[in-house]
Amino acid sequence: MTLSLVLQALFAGVTNGIVYALVGMGLSAIFKGSRVINAMQGEFAVIGAMTTVLLLTKTGWPYAAAIAGGAVAGALVGAFIEVAFVRYMAKKNASEDSFLLLTIGLALTLSASVLFFIGRDGHLLPPLGGEGVLIILDAVIQFHALWLIAIGIGATLALRAFYHRTTIGLSMMAASIDADGAATTGINVARMRTFTFVLGGLLGALGGILVTPLIGVDYQLGLNLTLKGFAAAVLGGLTNPLGAAVGGLTLGLVESLAIIGISSSYKDVVAFSVLIIIMILMPQGILGRAGRRGG
Amino acid sequence: MSVSSFIAKLAGATALVGLSALAVQAQTSGEPVKIGAIVSVTGAGAGLGVPERNGLLLAEKDINAKGGIKGRPIKFIVEDDASNPDTALSKANDLIFGQKVQALLGPSLTASTVAVGGVTHANKIPQIAFTGIGPAVERERKCVAHVLPPQRLNAMALLEYAKSIKAAKVGVLHDAGYGNVVMAELKPLADKYGVKLVAVEKFEIGATDTTTQAAKVKAAQPDAVFIIATSATPFRNVKQIQIAQPVIAAIGSSSYEYVNAMGPAADNIVIPEFVVGEDPLPHQKDFVELYKKTYNATPKNYEAAAWDAAHIIAAALNKAGADATGEKLCDAMKAPYSGVLANYNFSADDMTGIPISSFVFSKLVGGKYTRTPFRVAQ
Amino acid sequence: MNPRTLLWLATGLVVWAVLPFIVPRYMADLLVFTGIYTVAGLGIGLLLGHCGIVNLAQATFYGLGAYASAYCTVMMGLPSVVGFLVGAVISMALAYVIGRPILRLTGYFLALGTLALSAIASALFFEWDWLTGGTLGIGGIPKLDLFGFLLDRPSRYYFFVWIVAFACMAVARNLVDSRTGLMLRAMRDSSTAAAALSVDLQALRTRVFVVCALFGSLAGSLFAHHASFVSTQSFTVDRSISFLLIPVIGGATSIPGIVVGALFVTFLPELLSKLGDIHQILFGLALVAVVVLMPEGLVGAFGKLRTRLAKRGSGHG
Repeated sequence: MTLSLVLQALFAGVTNGIVYALVGMGLSAIFKGSRVINAMQGEFAVIGAMTTVLLLTKTGWPYAAAIAGGAVAGALVGAFIEVAFVRYMAKKNASEDSFLLLTIGLALTLSASVLFFIGRDGHLLPPLGGEGVLIILDAVIQFHALWLIAIGIGATLALRAFYHRTTIGLSMMAASIDADGAATTGINVARMRTFTFVLGGLLGALGGILVTPLIGVDYQLGLNLTLKGFAAAVLGGLTNPLGAAVGGLTLGLVESLAIIGISSSYKDVVAFSVLIIIMILMPQGILGRAGRRGG
Repeated sequence: MSVSSFIAKLAGATALVGLSALAVQAQTSGEPVKIGAIVSVTGAGAGLGVPERNGLLLAEKDINAKGGIKGRPIKFIVEDDASNPDTALSKANDLIFGQKVQALLGPSLTASTVAVGGVTHANKIPQIAFTGIGPAVERERKCVAHVLPPQRLNAMALLEYAKSIKAAKVGVLHDAGYGNVVMAELKPLADKYGVKLVAVEKFEIGATDTTTQAAKVKAAQPDAVFIIATSATPFRNVKQIQIAQPVIAAIGSSSYEYVNAMGPAADNIVIPEFVVGEDPLPHQKDFVELYKKTYNATPKNYEAAAWDAAHIIAAALNKAGADATGEKLCDAMKAPYSGVLANYNFSADDMTGIPISSFVFSKLVGGKYTRTPFRVAQ
Repeated sequence: MNPRTLLWLATGLVVWAVLPFIVPRYMADLLVFTGIYTVAGLGIGLLLGHCGIVNLAQATFYGLGAYASAYCTVMMGLPSVVGFLVGAVISMALAYVIGRPILRLTGYFLALGTLALSAIASALFFEWDWLTGGTLGIGGIPKLDLFGFLLDRPSRYYFFVWIVAFACMAVARNLVDSRTGLMLRAMRDSSTAAAALSVDLQALRTRVFVVCALFGSLAGSLFAHHASFVSTQSFTVDRSISFLLIPVIGGATSIPGIVVGALFVTFLPELLSKLGDIHQILFGLALVAVVVLMPEGLVGAFGKLRTRLAKRGSGHG
């Protein structure tokens, strides 16, 4: 166990952690604004990344425009889902489990659609900062990973500021905590919910676009990201985007440290066991508020 | 081009298609000989199933163009098991009892093969699977043949190459599914090739990152690195942390889908496989040309395996009779066969009979497959 | 019970008894799977419908039951009933030991806890391949032999599986209708009120969790003897998610609803696969359609339809 190896594990852990955090934040945002657990958050990542790939390679847009296009795609799909399905179900007072099933069904549909329309190939995107790497003590981290970490932290802080400082953010929180009360103060509850899904879609797509240069995107990526993102979000208390970031980082670091500290064969066993233990010891989540049912 | 000349071209093309269809039909007539096929077109196994289906359908056209089975057309009824062994079982039941097929080709995945094998074995339906032989129970199923090498052979091929480049210390990065199976064969064999496994690191199927495991492999300072996986991720991670040693990958990684996702990491990787479409062996040239012409893509191992299986069953039917089933067809199927992928001998213990000399060692250079001259002498 | 209900029941019973002989063999095969999934889904339904708990760990117990049956019969040559028992005992014990700490969690924390359990179990199934055979699995599991009558084809095994399913449904109905069931629903709807009535929430939830694990294990053992082969791919987190679909589609609080959900999950993909490569997309869309248009599940929607027809029938509707 050399210092170099530990440092490499830390690099990988933090990078993966921010990836999980990005997915988790989107999940958190959607739950915060609508109390829906979005089992297709990972698919937003795939939508964003695939759209960017297509815009870049098939229609020849410049990279920045393609990224914007991908992000917009995520936002639009989010809006569509809210308007077409969630709104209708909310009017019928559907249960939380029904919403979960909705998003599971959508996730299956989207993953199968990517396979059917785009194929089984994996795709990459050009990394920010090129193929360059930073080497410290023989441990390697790509420039793009550093960008990813920076953007991830920035997004977390921006999201927190959004919810606590802007009118829309505060309105979204109010609408989800008490719809009737919010309506009496003139907040358009339905529109706030749409914005929530737009935000979730945007975050998911952005996460996917940022992650693709490192790990590539294919039709199977969605489910894996969703599971890790869910873990990150719940660890963080489910309604706190900063919590999702901390949850994601915790998960990423526990995974890498388990690999070098114990063995790569038992990485999942260790990581998920630690997850369970953290949840039992901290029943409100790592940064969650007191008393709320599951966040 | 003007409207009238366009219509003329269209008419001409249609006539040509019609004529050639007629020509094919003139070759074969009568009740089609039905053969079932189960492949994974959707789900995690789609990377195997879709090329296999392509190879099958091409073979169907080829067999029928050459007269079918004693003048009768052969028809492959292809079903999708969605990469799920339970579904494969249901499809097998449907094909055997509902559609009354005389033989079964596939499936694409080992779990499905073993599940389906229970039914084909119990009902004496000959089967040619697109997998390497799996658990011990398969050795008792004397009518379930395999057109892909057993994992033991794959392990040996990796070790042969390591030996040839004088790599005494090898680090291994493998996945929890396919990788575990190959590792189980690799571990006891390593000594015989003078290879010491200095690092063996595992990652889960569908892992989004394997950097830390790759770092552990790097820290052990091997002479070469084996990667046994069905995803591009470990290859990327290995190159990202600047592992400079030669990488030798198992056949499961040999597909264009992964090359795309490997990006700049698709370089200096040697793979023991069978079909290098860019530079085929003489006996593979016809198949590669035909595939390229029909699908406008380059074939690799899984297309060739399905093509071979289809031709083997056709040859067996031609020998035993177009209506042959059961023991008779099974015996006819077991004759040694020189296919595009490899030479087979289904009477062998491992129900495959592929010799290690059939392996071709390709090398990924700048994202393109090239064929190295290295072969293993038998 | 009025004569009309009796007539319906009798007809249903006759249809049930005759079905495997009149449908094509692969459909009889699917009906066996439906029975197996009904048993597994019952437990999830109990936890979801009556305790408000999302249990994503059922694949663990399904796997334990299946591997226990496989190991006991193939590796140790013991009679099949031993496999069933061993699987059940191990599953219930594990459910109790893990349940006590995990069930302290609530809401989505608990869901994540069960998901984590499923992931851990799946990883161990892969890793401990000396026990489970790993990806290669364990093959050659013998068909069940009932006093000399070999259940070697779907039309025979069907009866055994469904009798087990009916037995489990009876147990579930008993639980739901009993005082325990009343307390469970009280706990689900308002945990503070239930606590005020000095209901031991923890013990109750653990009990239902253990019953769920038992059902999962039984389903797994039944599966092992049906497919004659078990491997790790059948026991991943995906499988847990499929099991969750069953009660939600059918209608979580209804026990017959579980059968409907199981039918949906088994037959629909099969029927859709006739439509070509697009079938996976269609299945996802079908799920979405059911959930959007019928938020109480298929049974709930059917109930509403019946009420509407009845209203229309009884004079001015």
